[in-house]
Amino acid sequence: MTNTENLFKGFVKENPLFVSVLGMCPALAVSTSLENALGMGIGVFFVLVLSNLIISLIMSNEKLAKLVKPVRIPVYIVVIATLVTIVEMVMHAFLTPLYNSLGVFIPLIVVNCIILGRAEAFAASNKPLDSVLDGMGMALGFTGALAIIAVFREFLGAGTITIWGSLSLELTGVFDFIGITPIAMFVQPAGAFLSFGLILAAITAIGNKRTEKLAKGAIK
Amino acid sequence: MNKGLKSGLVLLVLGVISGTLLALVNSFTSPLIAKIEAAAQYEALKEFFYDVEDPNYDTFIFTEDYGLVKLEVDEPGVEAIFIIKTKGTDNIEALGYLAYAYGNDSDVPITMLIVVESDMYITGYTVVSHKETPGWGAAILDNNFGVTTLIDLTGFDSVAGSTLTSDAIEECFVIVAARASDDFGGGLDD
Repeated sequence: MTNTENLFKGFVKENPLFVSVLGMCPALAVSTSLENALGMGIGVFFVLVLSNLIISLIMSNEKLAKLVKPVRIPVYIVVIATLVTIVEMVMHAFLTPLYNSLGVFIPLIVVNCIILGRAEAFAASNKPLDSVLDGMGMALGFTGALAIIAVFREFLGAGTITIWGSLSLELTGVFDFIGITPIAMFVQPAGAFLSFGLILAAITAIGNKRTEKLAKGAIK
Repeated sequence: MNKGLKSGLVLLVLGVISGTLLALVNSFTSPLIAKIEAAAQYEALKEFFYDVEDPNYDTFIFTEDYGLVKLEVDEPGVEAIFIIKTKGTDNIEALGYLAYAYGNDSDVPITMLIVVESDMYITGYTVVSHKETPGWGAAILDNNFGVTTLIDLTGFDSVAGSTLTSDAIEECFVIVAARASDDFGGGLDD
């Protein structure tokens, strides 16, 4: 696989959220606003890239890999937990509103399936550069997917899109024009599942159409 | 050397490196976090005692008439007590409890500031820190839990969908209720 393929496969083809359906719990919980989604994305990016790099460095050394192999899962967890704790402490000190807003889902990055999944499935058997690119691609794909769900939910549920801090788009005019009020359910837990289902259905439909077109083209 | 022992040693070395790294990060983030937490407590106090716009709180402009002492308490459930005294006297006007609780089976604490007067009437309360679900769970911040006095907490009204947090908040009231009358009766002198 080329470097470009390693980087971009996480965006659409192997998107962790929409294709592999991994890391659902934090994704649904924090996608109440775009700001939360971006904050979680930054945290996951830092942890995923560095954990992939460290694990790949450990496993690419033959002698070290032999020693680590029987205890590789505890090793992965120690690495990931350390990185997540650093993210938590730094966020608490420098990005307090975001830290308060993301709440318990920052420490829960430790048990995010995407991070452990990439460590075991990719970083453990690939070179450090490839692993870093894979981590970057997966994290950006995850952040993009989170942002799509967040924009969908926040717009329909509150009529706004909070970009960062006090910077937000006020879109209640759209609802006024139609003559309805924002549907608060979309920023609640049930709305998270509904939004995710609708977006996933739309993506699957587009994918199926594309496959159909490609198949028709191949037959001709 | 035994293979298992070698793997264990690798894990130990990794743990030591991780611990050192975390200690390093903690050394420069913890003073900032302490400052942020102190500011949050101050903001919470201001909600009750600097509200000059509200005639109900006219008597609590303690910059002029009242003094405030913060007492650090090393007891389960209570982090600190703010003692509000009339200036120049020993009369305690109110006590502000910085109480924390975890709720059923939760390992994430909720910290509340609960301000009580000597007749056990609750002047006010506010959530100082929480780790609730973003959006939905944050409803606890401005919620009226339906309690006005520590003598009767039966009217406590939970927030639907935030059961653990509501339990923790109720626990904070119970903790404060258990010690407030003693504290007003001279318990703080000990």
